[in-house]
Formats: sequence, structure tokens, C-alpha cells
Amino acid sequence: MRGGNPIRLLTWPSTLRARIFFILLVGLAVAYGLSFGVLYLERYMSAKAVMLGTLEKDVATSIAVLDRLPANERENFIDWLGRGSYRFVLGEGLKGVPDTSPRSAEIVARIEEAVGHRFPLRVEAIPGDVMRLQVHLTLSDGSPLTIDITPRGVMPVADWLPYVFLLQMVLLVLCAWLAVRQTIRPLGTLAAAADALDPRRPGPALSETGPSEVAHAARAFNAMRERIAHYLEERVQILAAISHDLQTPITRMRLRADLADDSPEKDKLVSDLSEVERLVQEGIAYARSSHGNGEKASRIDLSSFIDSIAYDYLDTGKAVTVLGAVQGTIVTKPHALRRILTNFIDNALKFAGSAEIGVERRDGCVVIMVLDRGPGVPEDRLEAAMQPFFRLEPSRNRETGGTGLGLAIAQQLAATIGGSVRIYNRVDGGLVAEVTLR
Amino acid sequence: MSSMEHVDHILIVDDDREIRELLSSYLKKNGLRATGVADGRQMRTFLETNAVDLIVLDVMMPGDDGLVLCRELRAGRHKAIPILMLTARSDEMDRIIGLEMGADDYLAKPFAARELLARVKAVLRRTRMLPPNLQISEAGQMLAFGDWRLDTVGRHLLDRQGTAITLSGAEYRLLRVFIDHPQRVLSRDQLLNLTQGRDADLFDRSIDLLVSRLRQRLGDDAREPTYIKTVRSEGYVLSTPVEILEPRP
Repeated sequence: MRGGNPIRLLTWPSTLRARIFFILLVGLAVAYGLSFGVLYLERYMSAKAVMLGTLEKDVATSIAVLDRLPANERENFIDWLGRGSYRFVLGEGLKGVPDTSPRSAEIVARIEEAVGHRFPLRVEAIPGDVMRLQVHLTLSDGSPLTIDITPRGVMPVADWLPYVFLLQMVLLVLCAWLAVRQTIRPLGTLAAAADALDPRRPGPALSETGPSEVAHAARAFNAMRERIAHYLEERVQILAAISHDLQTPITRMRLRADLADDSPEKDKLVSDLSEVERLVQEGIAYARSSHGNGEKASRIDLSSFIDSIAYDYLDTGKAVTVLGAVQGTIVTKPHALRRILTNFIDNALKFAGSAEIGVERRDGCVVIMVLDRGPGVPEDRLEAAMQPFFRLEPSRNRETGGTGLGLAIAQQLAATIGGSVRIYNRVDGGLVAEVTLR
Repeated sequence: MSSMEHVDHILIVDDDREIRELLSSYLKKNGLRATGVADGRQMRTFLETNAVDLIVLDVMMPGDDGLVLCRELRAGRHKAIPILMLTARSDEMDRIIGLEMGADDYLAKPFAARELLARVKAVLRRTRMLPPNLQISEAGQMLAFGDWRLDTVGRHLLDRQGTAITLSGAEYRLLRVFIDHPQRVLSRDQLLNLTQGRDADLFDRSIDLLVSRLRQRLGDDAREPTYIKTVRSEGYVLSTPVEILEPRP
């Protein structure tokens, strides 16, 4: 294990895609650059050795030949003796400046080594765009000779070489991108599948094809999904079984109490039984709400739907009023929506004694609110209030506490109809519970 | 139909012996005759030789469950006997299934004995006025009158475009009474009596208010109503005939 990352100067890219791409590309580019550099250096050395080696010998031979030739013959040979990078000129040559560059010093040193002991040399650089040297010497008959040197690059680079280099870089980038894509794509697919995971609905399983590691991950994911679905199913079955098995003894007790003579004990028993009964019913309702109940969506008239709920409460003497009306229809699962709203209203009635229902359209969504003037919920507990078995008062008072499942059921049901539930305190006191339908 | 001496005979079909006995003794205590049987087989045997006024039928039973028995009763020669279903779950869905199977009412376990007695009496009263299978709202699951359709399973109105107009419980009960007595003038007393079902003690809205609400749902103008007309000093009448579009299975 290596401790820490020593290079913190560069900002490390945040995505895995960028990181792998970066590592691959930099690694390949450095390796490629190194081998290119080594090759270049090696070629440079050998070419230089060849060039300089031949230069000194050729120049020495040529000077010796010129020296021996009669002065009038020299003119005929002078062109034959020149090479690509130098030529001989009879005469004083051009006026130059004393040369100091190490490269020319090296060239001159070579020539001097070859011929210098016989002909003293004088070197001058000719100012201009390209490097140009003139070596002046005097032949044995006293006539001046100039070697005009235009050193070419030791290793001339072909015109097409940069293109090849560019092509290789493009190839590198392409390969790195492909490799990254191969690695990252299954990860993205997996994340998307996890996001869309809904074990309640048998959606399409994740494809188990591809490289073996990816196929393995997909298989593991699919198995996990099945396990979750199984657990959910089991939870509902357990709750249903408990509720069913409790129902018979509760019914018996209830009937026995009803047959008994009136007494305070009987009233207490009946109220305890009602409590147990409600808990069992809410429990099963909660278990089912996450499952959806197979209800089909239908188009309903919004205002008559809201009115009917309010009237059902009014007819049993509860103070539930409708604030204004929103015309139009919505497509939803009416029983689920009704249950959500009655849970809100029951809460409002419990804590405030009365409730108001408001409807509005907000950003293309229909929002149904249940407002009350009760004590509200402390700001820091608003989130917790959506959790199952949440009770505002710690005493678990049966009169006001309820089962603590109302909002949790509403939230789960809202999810099954593609909506969301939110509660918040009113500025001037009281609570708003609202469901937003998309 | 019932003579002065007639005592209504209730048959209780429930697999739990104690519940049967407790229910029987409670009903007897309240002036009814009651017999308990444990399953469908015993029920059929008993019905061979005994006249029964109402059957209290448990849904969750080993062997033939309540829904199967209910369908069987409705299809056979005992189809006129009203049925009160006892269901384990109070879910909306189960209630709908129960009514679809032809039960006259339902009650979720556990229940208060008083509640059961009230329901039994309400169902008896209702079916005395019209035998169950003559009640249009019992016979059809989709009914049509005027421009409207009434879905007796979903308990809502459907307009021409198929949009559901939800009715409150009281509105639905009142409309059902009108539907069961189309083009017949019903007095306020009759309406109150027929509308008051199981929630008799809870329901205290006046019939006039309910009628005006129902007219609103039906898009009826109170001055010149097309559907529910006022008959001066007599009561109200549903002025259109009712047609059964889809009978109950």
C-alpha cells in the first residue's frame, strides 16, 4: 500500500472516465516520446559521426589535390570537389566576423586536425539567415582558398514525419478513449439500473452479457434485485398473516365484550381492542402501500373528487371545508389518492379539530393541500415526521398519537401514483400537508 | 311478506365456532333467530330444509371461501336471500370485490356486534322494499340514464367523455335510491328511510341539501332540472329511465 498521493499540484479530475483516460494517455505518450527521443538521439550520433568523419577526410584530400594542381587547372576541378554542405572557392571569399559558436569550433577543429598542420586556418562566420562559415587558408603556392560551409542539419527530418507523429497521437487518443469507454460503460449501466431499481415491478433484468467481470456484476445485481423483491413480498405476507391470525381472536374478544354487561371495564376493553385493531390495519395498509394495490389509473373530475371527500367528513360531523375549486380532470389512481388525503385530514382533525382542503396548479402539476391551525411540527422534526411509527409526542398517547403510520403510508402511496408528499409549517401557525401529482 | 309473528332467521356461516356462537347469542338476545354453520357444505344442507331471511357469510374460510359461496348462492335457487359479507380486510378493493360478487353489504372484521345488528336490519329493510335482484343497482354494474353512466362497482358517475365524477357516500346512496326507483315519485320520508343504510346514526343531512348536491354533480339546474325533478308537496322523482349496460357477473 502506498501512502497518499505525492502529486497534489495537479488538480486530479473528478470522474473515473477522465482519470483513466488521463493515466492511459499520459503513460502512452511519455513511453512513446521516450522511445522516439532515444531513437532520434541514436540516429543523430551515428549520422554525426559519419558526416564529420567523412568531412575531415574529404576536405583534407580535396585540399591536398588542389594544392598539387597547377593554379590554372584548379578552376576545372573546384566544382567536383564540393559536397552538399560545403564547396571550395578560389579566392579570399566573403568578409565575415570572427566565429565563436561551439558547433563551428567543432567543425573547424576537425578540419584543422586533418589539414591544419600544413595549412593554417582562419574561420569566419557569414552573417545571414542560415548558419554559414568560411574557412580561409593559403595554399603552398600562395594562392588563397576558401571553404564555404553551410552546415545542414545533421539529421534532416522528413516532411512527412510530423504527420506520422500526429497520426500516432490520434491513434493513441482513440485507443485510450475506447478502453475507457469499455471500462466505464458497464458501470454507468449498473448505476442507471440501480437508480431505476423497483423490486415491486418486474422490470427488465440487467443484461448479463459482455466481458466476464461485467457479466458477473450484472448477475450479482439481478440476484440482489430478486432478493429485495423477495424480502418485500415476505414482509407483506408476514404482516398479512399476523393481521389475519389476530383478527379472529380480536373478533371473539370484541363480541364477548359486546355481550357482557355494561361496565367501565368493558369500555376499556373495547377501546383497547379498537387500538389493537387499528394498529393491525394500519400495519397492513403500510405494508401494502409500498406494493401498490393493483389499482388502475382513471381520469377523474378534480373538483367533485375533492368535494366528495369533504362531504363524507361533513356528513359525519367533522369540520372539513374546501377552499376554492380547481376545474379540470386528472389521471390518477383515485383510491390511493383518497387514502393519501384522508390520512392528511385525519391528522389535521386529530391535532387541530378541523381541516381545509386547497387545490392549485403549480408548474403544470396539481397540488392538493390539507391545511390546519394546529400546533404544527417543530422544524427540525419535519423530516422525521414522514418516517413510519413517528409520533410527535413521546408519550405515545393513544388519544392523539395514533399508529404513526399515516404520513408514511401517504408517502408510499404517493410514490405509487407518481406523486410526492411534503409537510411544512404555515407562517401564521398550523401545518400544511400537500401531495403533488405529476 | 312478513307476518306479525315472523321472526327473521339469520344464518351465520363462519369457520370459527366461538364467533358463530357469540354472534348467534347476540342476535338472539336482540330478538332474531340465528343458526350457525361452519362451512359451505353445512350451509347447503341447512338451506335444503330451512327458510332463511339473511346469510352472514365469512369471506376467509377453508374449503369454499365466502366469495365462492356468494357466487353460488346468487346463481342458484337461493338467490333472493340477502347476503352480508364478513371480510378480513377493510380495504377498498375487498369491499368492491365483495359487492361485485353480489353481496348486499359487507362488514370488516373485527366489528362491533351492534354494528352487525344495524347492518342486518338495514339490509332486511332494503330488500323487503325490493327483492335484491329486482334492484337495478344490484343487477347492473354499469347503468345508464340520460347522458350519464353510473359505475356501481367504482361508485362514481361517468360523463360522456368517460371522466369519473366522484360521489360522496351520501350522494351515492341517494342516487342509488333514485336509480332503483326510476320515474317514481319518492317522498322525503321514503328517501330518508331508503338512503339511511348502515350509517343511520351518522347521517343527518337533510334530503333537500343532498338533492341539491346531487343535482350539482349531475350538472342539473335547480330551477329547471333534467334529472331529479321536484314534485311540489310530494317529493322528488328521477325523470329519466335507467338502463343496465353491463349486468353483474
